Amino acid sequence: MKTLNKLLIVTLIFLAFGSCEVQDGKNLNGADTTSISEDVSRGELGDAIAGILSDMRERIETQVDATSVLGREYWRIQSSDPRWTGDLLTGLLDDNTFYTTAPYSARYATVKDINLVLEGLVNSTADFTEAEKAAARGLVNTLKAHELLMVLNAQYQNGIRIEVSDPDNLGSFVSYDEALSSLSSILSDASSDLLNAGASFPFPIPSGFEDFNTPSTFDEFNKALAARIAVYQGNYTEALALLSESFLDLGGDLNSGAYFTFSLTGADLSNQLFFAQNSTIANARIAHPTFITDAEAGDTRLNKAPLRDAPLTADGLTGENDVFIYQSNVDPVGIIRNEELILLYAEANHITDPTEAVNAINIIRNAAGLPNYSGGTAPADLVNEILQQRRYSLFAEGGHRWIDVRRFDRLGDLPLDRPGDGTAEQFPIPQNENQ
Amino acid sequence: MKQFLLRNIFLWLFLTLPIFAFSQGKVNGNITDSEDGVPLAAVNVVVKGTTSGTTSDFDGNYEIEVSSFPSTLVFSSLGYETKELEVSGPTTLNVLLAPSATGLDEVIITGLASSVKRSNAANAVATVSAEELAGVTPPQTLDGALQGKFAGALITKSSGAPGGGISVRLRGVTSVNGNAQPLYIVDGVYVNNSSIFAPGLNDVSRAAAGGASVSSNQTQDNPSNRIADLNPDDIENIEILKGASAAAIYGARAAAGVIIITTKKGKAGKTKISFSQAIGSNSVINLRGLRNYTAEIAENGFGAGQGALFTQAQNDGSLVDYEKEIFGESGFISNTNVSASGGTEKTQFFAGFTNNEEAGIVKNTGYDKKSIRLNLNHKFWDDRANLSLTTNYINSSSNRGFFNNDNSGTTIGVSLTSTPPWAKLFPDENGNYPDNPYGASNPLQTRDLVTNNEKIERFIIGGTMDLMLYQKERSNLKLILSGGVDYFSLVTTAIFPKELQFMKPSNGGLNGLTAQGTTQNKDANYSAFLVHNIYTANNLNFTTQAGITKQTFSQNTIRNTTSNLIASETNLDQGANVSVSQFRLEQEDFGFFIQEEVNYQDKLIGTIGLRGDKSSNNGDANKLFYYPKASGAANLHNFDFWNLDVLSQFKLRVAYGQAGNFAPNGALFTAYNNSLIDGIVGIVVPNTLGDPDIQPETQKELEFGIDAGLLENRISLEFSYYIKKVDDLILQANNEPSSGFNFRFANAGNLENKGVELGINASVFANRDFSWDTGILFFKNKSKITKLDVDPFDTGGFGTGLGTFRIEEGKSVTQIVGNDGDGNIIVLGDAEPDFQMTFNNNFRYKDFTLSFLWHWKKGGDNINLSNLLFDFGQTSGDYDDFTLDPSGTLSNGDYRIDSFFAGNAAAFVEDAGYLRLREIGLYYSLPQNFLEKAFKGYVSNIRVGLSGNNLINIFDYNSYDPEVSNFGSNGLSSGVEVTPFPSSKRFMFHFSADF
Repeated sequence: MKTLNKLLIVTLIFLAFGSCEVQDGKNLNGADTTSISEDVSRGELGDAIAGILSDMRERIETQVDATSVLGREYWRIQSSDPRWTGDLLTGLLDDNTFYTTAPYSARYATVKDINLVLEGLVNSTADFTEAEKAAARGLVNTLKAHELLMVLNAQYQNGIRIEVSDPDNLGSFVSYDEALSSLSSILSDASSDLLNAGASFPFPIPSGFEDFNTPSTFDEFNKALAARIAVYQGNYTEALALLSESFLDLGGDLNSGAYFTFSLTGADLSNQLFFAQNSTIANARIAHPTFITDAEAGDTRLNKAPLRDAPLTADGLTGENDVFIYQSNVDPVGIIRNEELILLYAEANHITDPTEAVNAINIIRNAAGLPNYSGGTAPADLVNEILQQRRYSLFAEGGHRWIDVRRFDRLGDLPLDRPGDGTAEQFPIPQNENQ
Repeated sequence: MKQFLLRNIFLWLFLTLPIFAFSQGKVNGNITDSEDGVPLAAVNVVVKGTTSGTTSDFDGNYEIEVSSFPSTLVFSSLGYETKELEVSGPTTLNVLLAPSATGLDEVIITGLASSVKRSNAANAVATVSAEELAGVTPPQTLDGALQGKFAGALITKSSGAPGGGISVRLRGVTSVNGNAQPLYIVDGVYVNNSSIFAPGLNDVSRAAAGGASVSSNQTQDNPSNRIADLNPDDIENIEILKGASAAAIYGARAAAGVIIITTKKGKAGKTKISFSQAIGSNSVINLRGLRNYTAEIAENGFGAGQGALFTQAQNDGSLVDYEKEIFGESGFISNTNVSASGGTEKTQFFAGFTNNEEAGIVKNTGYDKKSIRLNLNHKFWDDRANLSLTTNYINSSSNRGFFNNDNSGTTIGVSLTSTPPWAKLFPDENGNYPDNPYGASNPLQTRDLVTNNEKIERFIIGGTMDLMLYQKERSNLKLILSGGVDYFSLVTTAIFPKELQFMKPSNGGLNGLTAQGTTQNKDANYSAFLVHNIYTANNLNFTTQAGITKQTFSQNTIRNTTSNLIASETNLDQGANVSVSQFRLEQEDFGFFIQEEVNYQDKLIGTIGLRGDKSSNNGDANKLFYYPKASGAANLHNFDFWNLDVLSQFKLRVAYGQAGNFAPNGALFTAYNNSLIDGIVGIVVPNTLGDPDIQPETQKELEFGIDAGLLENRISLEFSYYIKKVDDLILQANNEPSSGFNFRFANAGNLENKGVELGINASVFANRDFSWDTGILFFKNKSKITKLDVDPFDTGGFGTGLGTFRIEEGKSVTQIVGNDGDGNIIVLGDAEPDFQMTFNNNFRYKDFTLSFLWHWKKGGDNINLSNLLFDFGQTSGDYDDFTLDPSGTLSNGDYRIDSFFAGNAAAFVEDAGYLRLREIGLYYSLPQNFLEKAFKGYVSNIRVGLSGNNLINIFDYNSYDPEVSNFGSNGLSSGVEVTPFPSSKRFMFHFSADF
């Protein structure tokens, strides 16, 4: 009987295992990243590119807020997060908290989206023509340069990683200057691709890029970004050449340019840079008082910071003006606008052709309801004027003032509001980069 | 496969059905309780060394056939001391059984299909009886009722929100990113304990910024966990297997321990109806308190003109303590329970109905639950087969309010931090609420108008069939087939009407938001076991068991959110912006096990076993992972050489076992999320890089112990020491964010827990009129990361500036680190308590009983961020005290703010130890002779009583309650506080009657 038992047990187990194969688990909740990188199809390419353009918007509110607060453009008040009025005003930045890590990660996530498409284009068995592949490459590499520039603006002399396609073998950090050169060459390679890309993109382009929805017009956006980098490099000759091929239009609408668009539909994102006027300390953007006091009389750009019904006091800061750039939570956010290009043009000319620089400055001043520039035309004077105009024209649009004062070594000029406050030159490298 | 298997077994069964029986002589008699003389039904009577046995009938009579004389008869019954009596020939033998003072004779489950007497067990398996679970005071949820009842657990409520949300950690942290909550098995059914977040809440609170479509870290919305659905009144007993040494046989899901729940079953005999009704109320344990405002504070802290507003409000008496206004309610509690049980020798039933209603301490919050249970037992084929069915239907609804962390100033908790008492927030006579100028939301309006509801419909159904395939005098073979299904549908509803301050478009709001989440979950498990027993002539017993198990899991969650609503409509189609997301999970596990137990005369007991498991959730679905176990116990007092009469029991035991823990679902994959821009769909990379080769975590536990009984076991002592190692820790480790992924799954470390558990129980006095039983538990655990293949990383906090948990080699798993002000990161605390102690007492004087349970948690730290938020809002009750600053120059509020600005996180880490009177109950049973006279025997018992829960709470922690968790119940980051729903204490009045 005992033997029978044992036999039975063994048989039972054998039976059970012979017939109970377990199926490999499947992910039921989304396409695997290898579906793009190993062989992107025509339909998937459109999805992947729309994903890139969507992902570029992720956490821009944190990116803009953090850099704007550092540049004392405005204060970000949030009763449930004291770090806005803490670290970012004391200048003692944490290497492992949201204002450092969230924009950094979000930009590199987009870079990953882009790298997967680039791998997919190499491996694709779909019937793409070479021109179509060039169109895709040109577009995504231009966007990649933009994303990396955003990271570099925050990290500055820390430098950044450029080559990040293999998560197990990331490229090393390159210095700020080297990174700017790399971004220039990524843009110029992308530009070559765009020029060999035929007449249209083989995928839909969102309306924020409606002025740049063909390879040749998209190249004007590419050149605008390249010009911004050239100015950061101090390479004004190069900048002028690039600007001439960009969408710079001295007589045109200052607001023409490329935009992030938003909506409240489905998985779309809303514009988190919008707060209603007279927001409470729960969540508010309060213009730095010096934005009002430093303005020339009659500057219509002060409309960006309307007077509140009542001042807001929080953490020892009292402000009377809201930041009110966007009228709703679906208003588009500029990526790069003609107004900036005109100011880049002025700066690129301010040494070699002061008259042209002043002409450009006057376009901006007149548009803001101000009379023509009447100050000195020595480079030092013009730099002061250009920085002043950039401060008001690009107010609260992405930390331009912080970057500008840093470029001209004037961080020390930023106003400090409370004892113990300070400035920061750059964000720390996120702790998880293990540098 | 399953059907084929079953058919084979039945076929085999019918071929071997012939009955084996012997008859030499009969012994009969009557069995009664030695204390009160009541006849005892269902007492097991066995001829020692054989399997022949019987049970006494309803009147306590038994008759047993004995094949050879002389023999020893063993009389045993749950709750009574086992008695052995020698018989030399056919006779009448009346037996008195004494109630057991200790639980040595109770039976505990050791294999999947076998059990062992506690006195023979090699593990410290904790048992919680029905009386201990819910007898003193009725618990709100099952897991909450376990607090302080057994050694080796850290049980933490995430908040005071009605309806649960509880973390149970057995013997330390067992996983960093995998499941760290024990496996719950109710009557053989694997019961789901997920916490499923509701859509809509995060869209408003933005606690996990980025919105619902992107972030997978949605755990700040305080979802309840699904064990809350089980009804404590139905439970007969709970066994807790605290680690792999006891739980190895449960294999790949058992690393966090196993909680085995047995529900009440009917007993043969007269049908018994029990009715109980409890009513009571709850109230907040502790309020943070109001700042002592002056016009100067108002002016300086809240801005120009506020001082005048304060003075004006003070003069016209219109200052409002909003904390009290929100949290000061007394919630009404009503628990009704009716059960019926009874049956015949062949068929027994238990039926129970429970209705619980409990309002919260915040208006419009509360928890209602209805539970219906029907358990059936049927014996047939000459008692060779036993079929038992358990069914449970649960319907619950909880309104949980809108609390915890946010980034939008909308939750009630966060809006209170900045609202001073002179704010005018009450609605006008038409119900129009003014906007709160001191925050993004009017907390009274939020409380009154927001809906955050979870509704559950759940069926838990299980069946077990035992078949005695053959039975001889010295051996038998049993087949046990069991299966169970746990099905629930969870519907979450979040409604934010457009009238809310933060929903108004003029305030940047979404013009109303409604969201509904629907989860259908079905878990099923099936198993087949064979158990073979051999009893040799010299009392050497062998129990061999083997079996196979299969489990399937299927979950489908659809979340819909609609904003910009039409008027006050709340249907999902009644708005402009509709979004939907779906999450599906399918998993299949398959396992086998074999186990051999050897018992030599109850002197030496040894067990070895092996479990093998495979799962679709592993990198290689068909790779078997093996979990061995071995244990031994020596009952020294049963040996002949033992002559220490004062030590009536002395057992040495050692047990070793391994168990596993699966990777979280999705860890194998790197799957795109969906995106939308300008109407164009797209795909974006997720936050976490998957690992296609991920393996389960392996836990190895070694446990030693001594069990001793003194003075005829009136005093019993249990001591255990354990070393628990977890290898191949699955870490959602931080990854270089430049790779595009913030996290990556990897098997990348080991951890270790070591601890001691000591329990002493004593029956101090026991006589007719007075008895006193007391028990003390002491336990502590220390954990360490012993190996880490990735760089140290922070988890479960808000960065080193505010204090965070950090996983670091050589350090405690639950260490809390932060900046020290000089930019150095230092250890600021540890969530692990220094130790815990409980002190339990039961007094009986005539018809009165008094029971109470003290629970002391010494040490263990929290990250308390509520303080800082209240400080920034200038509203902390202790803002103007001078107790924190070592130099005595800064007030507490200024000191904390100053610390924050100096980047010093030390001020936010606080001792979260407590001493609580967890439970107290005083009951009076009407005398039997009175009942006899008054009700002519129709009523057997009437009891009235008073009880309370958390009535006394002593802690130094500077907020509502040190038991709190902003990040919910899983993971190791419990103990972070961000403006939670405060905990409550309860006071109840009871009436119960048995018919």
